[in-house]
Amino acid sequence: MPSERAPIIEFDRVSFQYAASDAYALQDISLTIDEGEYVAILGLNGAGKTTLELCINGIIPNMVMGDLEGEVRVAGVDATDTPVREMAKTVGIVFDNPEFQMSQMTVAEEVALGLENLGVPYEEMRGRIADALAMVDLVGFDERMPLALSGGQQQRLAIAAVLAMRPRILVMDEPTSNLDPIGKQEVFEIAARLNRDNGMTVVMAEHEVEVMARYADRVIVLDGGRIVANGTPREVFAQRELLERIGLRPPQATELALWLRDGGAGWTDLLPVTADDAVTALETRLAGVAR
Amino acid sequence: MQGVAVPVSMVAGNSFIHRLNPIAKLVWVLAVLVISFATRNPLFLIALSIVGLGLVTMAGIWRQFSRVMLILLPVATSLIVFQSVAPAFPQPWTPIATIGPFTIYQEGIYSGLSLLARATSMTIFALVMIMTTHPSDLFTSLSRLHVPYVLNFMLAMTLQLIPVLQREIGVVMSAQKSRGMKSTGFGAVIPSFVPVFAGAIERVQQLSISLESRAFGSSGHKTSYRQVAVRPVDWVVGIAGFAFLAVCIAVFLNTGALDMSRTLIFPPALAIVLVAAAAVLFVGFIASAIWVVIRA
Repeated sequence: MPSERAPIIEFDRVSFQYAASDAYALQDISLTIDEGEYVAILGLNGAGKTTLELCINGIIPNMVMGDLEGEVRVAGVDATDTPVREMAKTVGIVFDNPEFQMSQMTVAEEVALGLENLGVPYEEMRGRIADALAMVDLVGFDERMPLALSGGQQQRLAIAAVLAMRPRILVMDEPTSNLDPIGKQEVFEIAARLNRDNGMTVVMAEHEVEVMARYADRVIVLDGGRIVANGTPREVFAQRELLERIGLRPPQATELALWLRDGGAGWTDLLPVTADDAVTALETRLAGVAR
Repeated sequence: MQGVAVPVSMVAGNSFIHRLNPIAKLVWVLAVLVISFATRNPLFLIALSIVGLGLVTMAGIWRQFSRVMLILLPVATSLIVFQSVAPAFPQPWTPIATIGPFTIYQEGIYSGLSLLARATSMTIFALVMIMTTHPSDLFTSLSRLHVPYVLNFMLAMTLQLIPVLQREIGVVMSAQKSRGMKSTGFGAVIPSFVPVFAGAIERVQQLSISLESRAFGSSGHKTSYRQVAVRPVDWVVGIAGFAFLAVCIAVFLNTGALDMSRTLIFPPALAIVLVAAAAVLFVGFIASAIWVVIRA
């Protein structure tokens, strides 16, 4: 991670309790995310992933009832005390059900909605809509009906609608949970591209461990509203006991290496987290054995 | 339940009426609405309806238009049936004919016919507007007239939710069928209401969060993506709508709203034929509706 990166999201001892619940959804979360980072948030359902993400653009506590303690600072602003519509200029958020995010008659109007709300002039709006649709490979879809698109296309549209507003942070809440494998792949690639090419900070809650191992700079594991692991994919996925205890599995490549290590194969190298890592590591070892 | 579409939606086209500014159309719809309620003269209202049908021809939307009218008209004919035997008209009533226990009154025929013509003229003009106007253009125009954005948005969302709810009812009913619940007729629809509405509430909550996240409700200046032109001809048509309204109101004020209830006399034969035709249409429609529901 280059050292010039500055923190853009800071959680300081944040706890949150939903109004209807007597348990804490988040407990004492302290966390710093730098600009340009790709952070994966892992955890079972109910671990607090969504709650954590909703704090980033102030939906919690501004739109969701409950008790929030601690401080959330996003791009230098107190997110707990800024209206969501103000935060929208910095933070774009995409949810799990694409259809529930659609409200307009045409694709272009869906993307335009946020820009209209920000008062972007018409000419600039057209350019931004074209750019956003190009970024998510929906060129030529302008006049289609959002509800008539496939799930994957709808989710890409939801991303475009957020991108057109030029946020610095893209927050995604299980964006692929309603999509087929192709749709999942498309969404992951767009997020990776935005992070890599545009330097956008990406915070993604996901269940797809393999994919997160491949793309994320950092993995944060939540359990019962607490951060139980926070580090590079390699650091986090090496903690097999911890992951097993909370019901998560490391990526298959890591599991394979852990088996080899525990089975006495004497794996002392770094643990691989992606298939490519594993292939490289195994090839090196096999070459050593052959010699 | 696949492919259920809103029966009343825009029909693509490029006629003069399609291209007309939505507000100019709205002026006419509202003018006709006021005029239709201001008079009970059936001849005048029928003439207005015929003008409306001319517009339907002009817009080239007969096919979709007649599909809607085929449903609305038989329902509306019940007005003649019920009014003829129980006029919504000050007594005394003039009997024309007696069929069994029912007596058909002169005032009833007049009243039924005028109510039917009133409903028809309003419906035709409204349908012409709805079927030739992109909803977004209408809402954009309304917001230019300073109709509050949130109100506009609510209207637009309501239109959006109809096909979504239709589809969800289909999903829920399939799920209930698969668990052996009653799958046909009206009895099957009732239990699916709760899950469908619970789902709708969840959807709306999620949507409101999503909208707020896209700066919905910002207090600052807003811009609009859809650009609706206001050409001179739109002004002419709009002002003509107001003028027509003003002239009609003036005429009504001077002539007792063109009242013909005492001068338009229906011969007994015509009255009976009219009532019978209306009854056949109405009862036939109800019977076929019941048949469809039972068979479903």
